[in-house]
Amino acid sequence: MKVRYSSTVFVAGLIFFAGYAALFIAPDEKTMHAIQRIFYFHLPSWIAMFTALSVVFVANVAYLATRKPTWDALGVSGTEAAVVCCTIGLATGPLWAKPVWGIWWTWDARLTTTFILWLLYISYLLLRGLLDDPERKATFSAVFGIFAFLDAPLVYVSNRLWRTQHPQPVIGGGNGSGLDPAMGKVLLLCVIAVMGVMIIILLDRYRLEKLRQEFEELRLEYETLNLEPASIGKERP
Amino acid sequence: MKNFENLFAAWMVVWAVFFIYEVSIARRLARLKQDIESLKQQMRER
Amino acid sequence: MSTSRATAILLAKELRLEFRTRELLSATIVFALVVVVLFSFAFDPTAAESRRYGPGLLWISFLFAGSLMLNPSFARERLNDTIDALRMAPISPFAILSAKMLANFIFMSVVEVVLVPVFSVLYNVSLAGVAGRLILVLALGTIGLTVTGTVFSAISSHARLRELLLPLLLLPILTPLLIAAVEATASLLVEDPELDRTWVALLAGFDIVFLTASWLLCDYLIEE
Repeated sequence: MKVRYSSTVFVAGLIFFAGYAALFIAPDEKTMHAIQRIFYFHLPSWIAMFTALSVVFVANVAYLATRKPTWDALGVSGTEAAVVCCTIGLATGPLWAKPVWGIWWTWDARLTTTFILWLLYISYLLLRGLLDDPERKATFSAVFGIFAFLDAPLVYVSNRLWRTQHPQPVIGGGNGSGLDPAMGKVLLLCVIAVMGVMIIILLDRYRLEKLRQEFEELRLEYETLNLEPASIGKERP
Repeated sequence: MKNFENLFAAWMVVWAVFFIYEVSIARRLARLKQDIESLKQQMRER
Repeated sequence: MSTSRATAILLAKELRLEFRTRELLSATIVFALVVVVLFSFAFDPTAAESRRYGPGLLWISFLFAGSLMLNPSFARERLNDTIDALRMAPISPFAILSAKMLANFIFMSVVEVVLVPVFSVLYNVSLAGVAGRLILVLALGTIGLTVTGTVFSAISSHARLRELLLPLLLLPILTPLLIAAVEATASLLVEDPELDRTWVALLAGFDIVFLTASWLLCDYLIEE
C-alpha cells in the first residue's frame, strides 16, 4: 500500500512538473506558438499506448502458454490503459490540427492507423463483456488480442502505401525532426510523466481484475459448498 | 500566447480522460469489495 | 485419421449441408445485390464515378455479405452441440477449422461469381481482358476474408450478440485487406489495366500471416 501511495504521489508530481515545463519552460515554436505545446502530451500518449499494447501482446501469448489468470488480468489492464492513452491522443490531435491546418481530421496513414487500433482494442473490451465463462473469455480475448497485434503493422503499411499513391495535403511530417535541444528535454520529461500515468492506470486496473478473480473463486466455492448459485454479483459482467 | 484556448482545452481533455477512468476504477473497486463482503457474510451464515 | 483426409470429409459434409437447401447462399447473394443497388440510390454515380468507386463498392458489399454469411459457420454447430461431437472425434482441431474455412471460401466465391458480372453490367464496367488477373485478386481477398472470418465466427459463436460481434471484430482487422483489394481491383478497371504488384503482395502477406496465426492458435479456438 505504501509503495502504491508514494508512487502515485511521485507520478502526480511528475505530471505537474512536466505540465509546467511544457507550458512555460519549453521554448516557443516559431510558427504555431502556444498550440504547439499540445505536442508535449500528444506524442507521449502514443508512445505510452504502444508500450501498453506490447505488454498486452506479451500477456496474451503468456496466457495461452501458461493458462495463469494473472496474464489475463495483465492483458485487460494493458488494453484499457492503451485505449485511454489512444483516446487522449485522438482527442488532442484534432485540437491541435484545427488551428494549425484548418481541419479537424485527415485520413493520413498515422491518424487512420491509430483510429483503427482504437476500434480494434475497444472491440477487444466489448468481446470480453459479451463472453460469460471466465476461462473462455480469457482464451478468446487472448486469441483476438494476438490477431489485433499482428494486424497493426499491416494496417500501417497498407495505409502508408495507399496515401503515397493518393497524396494528401502535406502535413507537418516530422514532429521530432530537427528538435531544439531544450524542446527535446521537455519532451523526454513528458514522455516519462505520461508513461508513469499509463503504468498507474494499468496497475490500478490490474488490482481490480485480481480482486475480481478472487471474487469469482469465492463465488465458485460458495456454489460448490451450497449447491446453489450465489445471489450476489450475478448481474456484474 | 496565441491559440491558448485550444491548448487549455487539450490539457483539460487529458486530465478529464485520466480522471474519469480512475474514478470508474475506484467505483468498480468499491462495488466489488462490497460484493466480496456480502458473499463472505453469506458463507459465514450458512 | 490424417488431417487432410479429415478436412476433406468435413468439407464434403459442409458442402452437402449447404447445397441441400442453399438458403445461406441465396440470402447472401441477395444481400450483396441489395448493397450494390442501395449504393446507386445513395450516391447516384455518373459513369466516371462508377469507375472510380466501383471497386470500393464491390469489396464493401463482399465484406458486409461475408460478415453475415460467416456467422452460421460455427453458430450452426452450437445448436445441436455437434461441435462437441467434432471435438471428441480423433481429428486435429485444424482439420475442423480448415474444413470450415474452405467451405466458406467456396461459398464466398459463388457469391462473387454471381456479383461481379452483375456489377459490371449495372455500372457499365468492362471486365474483358482482365478476367484472369481479377480472379487472382478476388481469390486472395476472399482467402483473407474467410480465414479471419471463420476464426472470429468460432470466437463469437460463444458470445452474446454474435451477429453484431462478428462484423465488429472482423471489419477493423480486415482494413488492410480492404485497401489492398480495392486498389488492386481499381488498377485493373482502368483504361490501361496493369495489376499492381505491391497490393497483390500485401494481400498475399495478409493471407499468409493470418493463416499461420490460425494454424498456431486453432487448438484454443475449438477447445471446450
